[in-house]
Amino acid sequence: MAEHIEKCPECRAESGAIERLLAQTEAVRSEIRAAAASVDWDALPGQIADRVMSADGKARRVAPAERSRGWLAALRMKPVLVGLVAGLVVGAAAMYFALKAPGPGAKGNAGYYASGEFLDRAELEMARRNTLDYLEKSQYVLLDVFESADEGPVVPAAVRSERARDLLQRKQYLNGQLERFQMAKAKAICDQIEMLFLELSQIDSELTAAEIGKIRGLVEERQLLLKINLVKKELQSGV
Amino acid sequence: MRKTTLIICLALVLGLGPAAALRAGVQAATDESLFREAKLLVFDKSWTAALDKLDELIDKFPSSPLAGQALFYKGECLSGLGGREKDALRAYKSYIRLEDAKPSLVEESEGSIVDLAFDLCARGDASALREIESRLDHANKVVRYYAAYKLSLVADKKEAVKAAPVLSRIVETEKDPELLDRARIALLRVSPESLKSAEERKPRVESTVRMLRIRVMKAGSKEPAFSLNIPFALADLALSAMDEDDKAAIRKKGYDINKIMNELAKSKESILRIAGDDGSVIEIWID
Repeated sequence: MAEHIEKCPECRAESGAIERLLAQTEAVRSEIRAAAASVDWDALPGQIADRVMSADGKARRVAPAERSRGWLAALRMKPVLVGLVAGLVVGAAAMYFALKAPGPGAKGNAGYYASGEFLDRAELEMARRNTLDYLEKSQYVLLDVFESADEGPVVPAAVRSERARDLLQRKQYLNGQLERFQMAKAKAICDQIEMLFLELSQIDSELTAAEIGKIRGLVEERQLLLKINLVKKELQSGV
Repeated sequence: MRKTTLIICLALVLGLGPAAALRAGVQAATDESLFREAKLLVFDKSWTAALDKLDELIDKFPSSPLAGQALFYKGECLSGLGGREKDALRAYKSYIRLEDAKPSLVEESEGSIVDLAFDLCARGDASALREIESRLDHANKVVRYYAAYKLSLVADKKEAVKAAPVLSRIVETEKDPELLDRARIALLRVSPESLKSAEERKPRVESTVRMLRIRVMKAGSKEPAFSLNIPFALADLALSAMDEDDKAAIRKKGYDINKIMNELAKSKESILRIAGDDGSVIEIWID
């Protein structure tokens, strides 16, 4: 085919025209895409061949015998050229779709993209980690309070109050997630701790022995530290 | 005459003072005990019993300093009971308006109002959204951030996207990793393009990588079964949240996902392709 095009000036001119046409399609890709979507690609080569054969017949009727032998050879090659043109158009369209079509794989290439399902899984993982972190920090705060009763204030009252307030803020975010992901046990223990922190966040002065005694009594009676450890273990193992 | 008047006044002061003090002491013991009992019941989530105690406190001792705080706990009980969200909203709002309201309880009340409004909205009361939207420009950033986070979860995407400016601001300015991750995920839900802009505006170290990309192609399929482009900061979370089958495929091939991430982070724009025995292909790269 390449040899023939090289030798035959008419076919070479036609091939050049096709190449120019394809180059021009670069500028009108969107139109090509829209047009390509409406084409039955399976049936297209057959349709083109049919039309060209009828046009070929017409051409023969207009100028039957004056053509040279080379021209006749080119005429005989026309179905091949039509096939070539159809192949080039189909190939160009296929390349276009392969490289440019915004399928799911390429959908987010320009920016961030994550499916809703993935974001739910990420939030579940985040809920697990953050609850674990919340429980650990809560343990530290409670242990600080208890140590204060034995050895005097370990952490200044203002710092303790600030920590309690910070944990209350974190808990707000956890509430919805724990409910959404049905982490009932974790929710129950976090809710109880939250009530203790509500109290601690309001006390700016040092706790009296009586106040510490009350909190300690509540924590021990409800076995909060034990429950915290059990829920932590479950969360660590990804349950 | 003046002497007699002085003696009478002195007698009155000496006589009435202790009586008043005694009365105040009795009241303090009573309202305090009611309050303490109510709080213990709240701690155990015995909402109805706690509500009774709080109502008793408010009715019997309306001028007690604890009557104000009782409003906050009343809000807690009403929202815990379920079905009385509007009453709970009223209780919290009443508490916020008090002059002697405690800052930590005010913050809690604001957060609870946002939660209650979100629940009401989810049940079809669209007007409740105003409670959340109005807090997007709240002076307290704790309230502002939480309102934006909750708004991003609203089913109506046109409403949810209103949270984007505040969430973007969190991404740009906040240092707390937990808050940052939440804001990033919320923005990925409502406005990924806002997340991209916010990350770009954020000052970056030169060597910082920006985007983690993952594609999972199942055998015989040209379309990825899983596609992800997220900030690298969420990489750890993303890999933990990957489908168990995909993670198993990676492990089966003998890859350590943590090492992979470290290697990819060091060699920018390199790509890792893992072909599974079933013909699936997992591609992970960073750019």
